[in-house]
Amino acid sequence: MTTIPSVRPRKSLGYRFSLTMKRDWQLWVLLIPALAFFIVFCYFPMYGAQIAFRNYKAAFGVTGSPWVGWANFEKFFKLYYCGRMFANTFLLNFLGLLFGFPIPVILAIMLNQLNHKRFKGFTQTAIYVPHFISTVVLAGMIYLFFSPTNGIINHIITAAGGKPIYFIMEPAWFRPLYIGSDIWQNAGWNTILYIATLTGIDPQLYEAATIDGATRWDKIKHIDIPHLIPITVMMLILNCGSLLASNTDKVLLLQTSGNLATSDILGVYQYTVGIAGAKAQPSYAAAIGLCLNVMNFVIVMSVNYISRKVGKISLF
Amino acid sequence: MSDIVLPRRKTRIRETGKDRVFNAINLIFWIIVLFIVLYPLWLIIISSVSDPDAVRRAEVLIWPVDFSLMGYEAVFQHSELWNSYLNSIFYTLVGSAMSVIITLAAAYTLSRKFAGRKVVSLVITFTMFFSGGLIPIFINIKDLGLYDTRAVMILMNLVSVWNLMVARTYIQTTIPEELYEAAVMDGAGHFTYFFKCVLPLSGTIVAVLSVYYGVARWNDYFTGLVMLRSRNLFPLQLILKEILASLTTGNSDTFFASYADNLGGLQEALRKAEVAKYCCIVVATVPAILLYVFMQKYFVKGVMIGSLKG
Repeated sequence: MTTIPSVRPRKSLGYRFSLTMKRDWQLWVLLIPALAFFIVFCYFPMYGAQIAFRNYKAAFGVTGSPWVGWANFEKFFKLYYCGRMFANTFLLNFLGLLFGFPIPVILAIMLNQLNHKRFKGFTQTAIYVPHFISTVVLAGMIYLFFSPTNGIINHIITAAGGKPIYFIMEPAWFRPLYIGSDIWQNAGWNTILYIATLTGIDPQLYEAATIDGATRWDKIKHIDIPHLIPITVMMLILNCGSLLASNTDKVLLLQTSGNLATSDILGVYQYTVGIAGAKAQPSYAAAIGLCLNVMNFVIVMSVNYISRKVGKISLF
Repeated sequence: MSDIVLPRRKTRIRETGKDRVFNAINLIFWIIVLFIVLYPLWLIIISSVSDPDAVRRAEVLIWPVDFSLMGYEAVFQHSELWNSYLNSIFYTLVGSAMSVIITLAAAYTLSRKFAGRKVVSLVITFTMFFSGGLIPIFINIKDLGLYDTRAVMILMNLVSVWNLMVARTYIQTTIPEELYEAAVMDGAGHFTYFFKCVLPLSGTIVAVLSVYYGVARWNDYFTGLVMLRSRNLFPLQLILKEILASLTTGNSDTFFASYADNLGGLQEALRKAEVAKYCCIVVATVPAILLYVFMQKYFVKGVMIGSLKG
């Protein structure tokens, strides 16, 4: 039996590599700084995440520390407050998404309907401004405005005949403060993507609709909203990835001894036991972190999968 | 031959009654939104230039009461705050400049077709959805010998995947492929093309990236909190937090109390501290907002182009 030689023999990998290097080495040089950053600052820690299965001691290094298997995870899941922390983390992000997610879409649609060009421009500039305030300042503003003695909110409450509320020490007020301030700060900024989508719509559609007698409300319903759906779904998928990831620094800044019942979240706990605490337990904290990251990853992938099957919209 | 002159006339179709109601509601809606957005900021500004006692009694609501700059005087006395201010300027300027250059170079590469692009894209995007976690990152920094150095404030968060994607989309959609072909015809390599053709055409995206990176760095609190120990390296946000935190802990403004001698006695120092907090907020926030306002012209346009999926 004879083998028929293929017309175009497949070039070896090494040959192809040398060929692209000869032609495109300059491209790789331009890429290297960024790639090196991702490898050193993102992939090294991923390798280092194995300390979750070890009893990390700085003297032995990451790979030299003794292997303890799932012990750190078991310790965490047996913790009395484990359930509460999961619930707090999830609820904070879920409620934030529930109340915070639709607002930018609504703002973008309403902004698109503003006629007066200068007022529209001013509005657009103004609603972005809070985004540029730092978390520390935002927390400071919350403390100032909601202070039980000098805060303006409590002055209004007492003027209306109510009793002053110590907002920052009340567990029931932690989530409204956190989510409300988040909406105040970022809702305007998050309209950018939706506004970009709306400006990309062919004006002929609106003209045709006007001639057919459509009101502004009809145009929103039949032109704007259908155009916004793909990008909205994509943003929703992206946001689902943060359902268990927490804005640790903001919670850290707003946490007080009084509101622990609702502000006690996984990210802050991880930071406290792993770095800030007097007796740091890096391996234990790394186990919590790994747990969170895997769960987040699974959530994004599942939401992405479902949305691809159901609505044919996906990130990848 | 004579031109036919048509009478100038508005060709817009008149709005219907329903639309006029809609417009009125929309206008009211936006006035309320603008009030909610801007009033807290205005309140901070007018409080910072008012008399401390008036601020405490919540009399400062629309306009400054008993205009005074004593809060700012107190803030200027605070040497540690100014040291951290300089640190933050350094971290922001150097860090953002590096970030912008590295991001643009990588974005250019990813905008071209070459063997291995898919793998590289995957390697980079994956970091958006999965990370090693806070503690491994911390240990990695320690192992690299970067803990408690200025370098860590520059190198952490050097490149953001999101910004990289925005820049790549921008380059792909705004710079025509024909330009590349013409440049290659004339004998240009990727270096020449990138520096001579892509960079000069990327003014808008440079502005956008500078604002994104600059503001993120200026406002960054967590990196300093975790990665620094020496007070002389602290960025502004860490010192600011200590000043503002004295509000909650109730241990009576230790920060300004320690400057009592310069501020005319302890009693006076504590009184000034009341408005000094508002002044700190203004002083810390103004650079970020100024950067945005100056870049705003390029900004909105650039973000729009970059954010549309190419």
